Amino acid sequence: MVLAVAACDRGGKPPLAPAPVASATPAPTPAPARAALLSASDVDARVRAEWQKAGVAPTAPAGDAVWLRRVWLDVVGTIPPPEVTRRFLADASPDKRARMLDELLASPLWADHWTAYWDDTWMGRDARAPDVDRGAFRAWLHDVLARNVPWNEVVTQLVAASGLNSEGGARKEAYVNEGKGGEPAGVNGAVNWTLKYQLNPQDMAGTASRTLLGVQIQCAQCHDHKTEKWTQKDFQSFAAAFVRTRLVPVDRGKAMGEIKRVEVRDLDRPAPRFAKMGELDALMKARPTALDGTDLAASPGGVRAALARWITGKDNPWFARALVNRMWGHFLGRGFVDPVDDLRPTNPPVAPELLDALAADFVTGGYDVKHLMKVIAGTEVYGLSATPLSEATTKADAEVKLWERFRVTPLGPEELLNALVAATKVDAIVRATGRMDLAQIRYKVKQRYGFLFDVDEEADAGDYEGTIAQALALLDGGVTATGASVLPGGALADILAMPGDDAAKLEALYVRTLSRLPDRDEVQRWTAYIAESQTTPAPPPSPRGGKKGGKAEQPDPLRGLERRAGSEKADARARAYEDVLWALLNSSEFVLNH
Amino acid sequence: MDDRDYGISRRGVLRLGTSAVFGSLVARWLAPRVALAADAPAQKARAQACILLWLNGGPSHIDTFDPKPGRTTGGPFKAIRTRAPGMMLSEHLPHLAERGDRLAVVRSMSSKEGNHLRAQYFVHTGYAPNPTLVHPSLGGWTSARLSDPQAELPSFVSIGGPSFGAGFLGVQNGPFVLQKAGAPPADVSLPPGVDRARFDRRRAALDAMEERFARETGEAKVEGRRQVYAKAVRLMQAPKLDAFDLTSESDATRAAYGDTDFGRGCLVARRLVERGVKFVEVVLDGWDTHQNDFERTQKLMATLDPAFAALLDDLGARKLGGSTLVACMGEFGRTPRINGNDGRDHWPQAWSAVLSGGGIRGGVVHGATDEDGASVVGPATSVPALMATMASLLGLDPAHSEMTPVGRPISVTNGGSPIRALLL
Repeated sequence: MVLAVAACDRGGKPPLAPAPVASATPAPTPAPARAALLSASDVDARVRAEWQKAGVAPTAPAGDAVWLRRVWLDVVGTIPPPEVTRRFLADASPDKRARMLDELLASPLWADHWTAYWDDTWMGRDARAPDVDRGAFRAWLHDVLARNVPWNEVVTQLVAASGLNSEGGARKEAYVNEGKGGEPAGVNGAVNWTLKYQLNPQDMAGTASRTLLGVQIQCAQCHDHKTEKWTQKDFQSFAAAFVRTRLVPVDRGKAMGEIKRVEVRDLDRPAPRFAKMGELDALMKARPTALDGTDLAASPGGVRAALARWITGKDNPWFARALVNRMWGHFLGRGFVDPVDDLRPTNPPVAPELLDALAADFVTGGYDVKHLMKVIAGTEVYGLSATPLSEATTKADAEVKLWERFRVTPLGPEELLNALVAATKVDAIVRATGRMDLAQIRYKVKQRYGFLFDVDEEADAGDYEGTIAQALALLDGGVTATGASVLPGGALADILAMPGDDAAKLEALYVRTLSRLPDRDEVQRWTAYIAESQTTPAPPPSPRGGKKGGKAEQPDPLRGLERRAGSEKADARARAYEDVLWALLNSSEFVLNH
Repeated sequence: MDDRDYGISRRGVLRLGTSAVFGSLVARWLAPRVALAADAPAQKARAQACILLWLNGGPSHIDTFDPKPGRTTGGPFKAIRTRAPGMMLSEHLPHLAERGDRLAVVRSMSSKEGNHLRAQYFVHTGYAPNPTLVHPSLGGWTSARLSDPQAELPSFVSIGGPSFGAGFLGVQNGPFVLQKAGAPPADVSLPPGVDRARFDRRRAALDAMEERFARETGEAKVEGRRQVYAKAVRLMQAPKLDAFDLTSESDATRAAYGDTDFGRGCLVARRLVERGVKFVEVVLDGWDTHQNDFERTQKLMATLDPAFAALLDDLGARKLGGSTLVACMGEFGRTPRINGNDGRDHWPQAWSAVLSGGGIRGGVVHGATDEDGASVVGPATSVPALMATMASLLGLDPAHSEMTPVGRPISVTNGGSPIRALLL
């Protein structure tokens, strides 16, 4: 269960009404759209002012290699290809970072990555009811993201979604639609979010409020909020907007494993399917009302359309701020408000004027998410080093509130998998064996390892949090074992085959994995390691079927490929290179975003 | 080479002296954990370990531990006498009936959570889910407060299901999940072509890289990661890994537990407890019997009954019965009303939980339901009270609170107090 860490009954100030957007400064008269937009340097100036006020000093700027890896991971969720890294490091022009950022925002990788991000945020890891078509949901997401549909429009489509969930048929293991553009005709994949919550509308109300508005209204599900203004009745009235959908089955009695087709339609009264659930009585009786008291029941076009209008409305005090805060937190490691989805008077933002300004800018600029990212990732603040300036500033992460030092975070599961694939070309190795395509591999590996990473990305985890199982998967799992082997198609085989001495090969490996050049000490150390390894005997061939106790509990989709492909015959030099790559993939520098 | 990448960090390092930075960061990283261990309560533990048999989906209390024969809602199963006077169980639990004198059956469990996920969370943690805080499960508390940090094996293991983690106590206290019992866990054996010597060489090389990165960045997370890796490697090389290997058990023993994943899970649980593991959950899924309740529940009891009974016998034979708390429950009970599909629906108002060993008084029926099993007669037993009972036996002080990251103290038992009548 993934939940944000925040405070429900946390002691605090008496309730305050949320401030409307830009209440601190009178709203500027709407200027012609483009001219009013903030630039990265405007944002930097404001952050510098905050540092001055607080008396903190920023760390030095991060080097180009560090910045490049960071921006790739944060914008497109993977590490840069070696040729990009080399080109970027060799580029002497002063605007190369801005150009790289533009390139990434325009890349097809962008929609792939943010599809995974929002799919995870909204659908979680376990939405596999018979009529939830996760693939169709992702196809919808991919389509709106690839077209950079304005955020208010995306959320409207999500909240008020009607139509058919799926084209039916066998459940697709891999999301084949991804990247191929568009959904099957007649299908509206967005309805699958509503279907995920078809029996627990109260949770849907909570997720909607949290992820779309940054408001933790669910606290009031069980009791009147002790420090905030929300009452149980507020929650019930808000959640009442989520019980008015009808699910019309299209397929009946389909075979196991097939997705049941269902049509989601609006209903002008609470759906009868909730009538038998005692705990929903209050929701069924409540009049759908928005969090600020706006009546949603009387609007034409259905209660969900009214809800979407209210959520995305220009006067909604939370909508723009919630996304701005979430994105700021994504790039800078900590939002203005922390945790990122807990906006409330007793959890005030740091640098509130900047949050207001960015939110206003987001609205003025037409809810353009790419523009927002361009501003945030384009700042010098984002480009700061993670290395503390001096011991006096080696504060614990929790104390670094004004982003004066870059916050190091572990890669998420999607990013780590992407990085492993990019560094090793393990996908090409598997494809060369003709067994699976990349989509299938990704799906299987995620299925196998997904639970290992079930940590809350939004939680304010100051220290490194990792589990033994996670460490084992990297130390010893099939992805690393196969990826770090000298096998046809793999990165290591390519590097060994290319002309050049050890120094050149080591440099190639470093660029591939850590997106930087090795320093002289590192080249020396590894060269010595490789030389030494020539004299060590080859390990005896390992017995088939693993260690004592029979086969491993759950087959690793990639385990054993390295044997099949004959890597045990690799010579001492090749084995030494396998060790180098293994160490690189297991290093903190690889698995952390720094 | 791009000088900006290294120049700054080198200067920083020179100014500070490497070990000073690294050392202070490590100290900071370790500080909260050390404090946690130091102020652990000196509560006397009756039980050294706990095995939770988790009946996932919500078993019908009426068809299992709280039979209502003769009522129209009672279903087709007969009730049988047990070794404990007055304790009747379903006829499909004959092995457990034989051992009724070792069981405490709590028939007055009652809660308000009728949704699977919410109720599972509640019964594992003692708290209703709340989006603002992730509460630790009992296994998580046990791992955080009672485990030996130098232990070879993880202190909290879940077999056949993900269980619930340690919430704000950190993922390092979450369960080590074994998907299926009877085979070594994933990824603990070395990959083909890598023997111990080569693995050690690799690790030494990795250590050198880690040292460099920690020095260059002054990053405390690197040390945290190193510690988790050290634990993982310790596990890979642990002699006690044989806990997961059942081939050394006799055919008779394996047969007694039953030829099922759950039976093997219970046997592995016993082997883990023998080797010092503090908390093991074994999951038996499939109790959400909205359709064909009787057929399915009977089948599940045929799996549960011999495994549970063999576990009790085995622990007893190894003199571990007194120090091992065995608990068996699901997230709620099921309706007395039999629905149109011959099934029973969710029923949190009244249900049963079973405890044994580890300081529990055997042969006890605690609380009762009405003639249909619809509601509790007399005082109901809350989930926090059950948690408090289990926690205090394990040596966790029910009154002790842990500060959450948001500065709100949380106790292991959510205000429940131990049920005295169940204690020896």
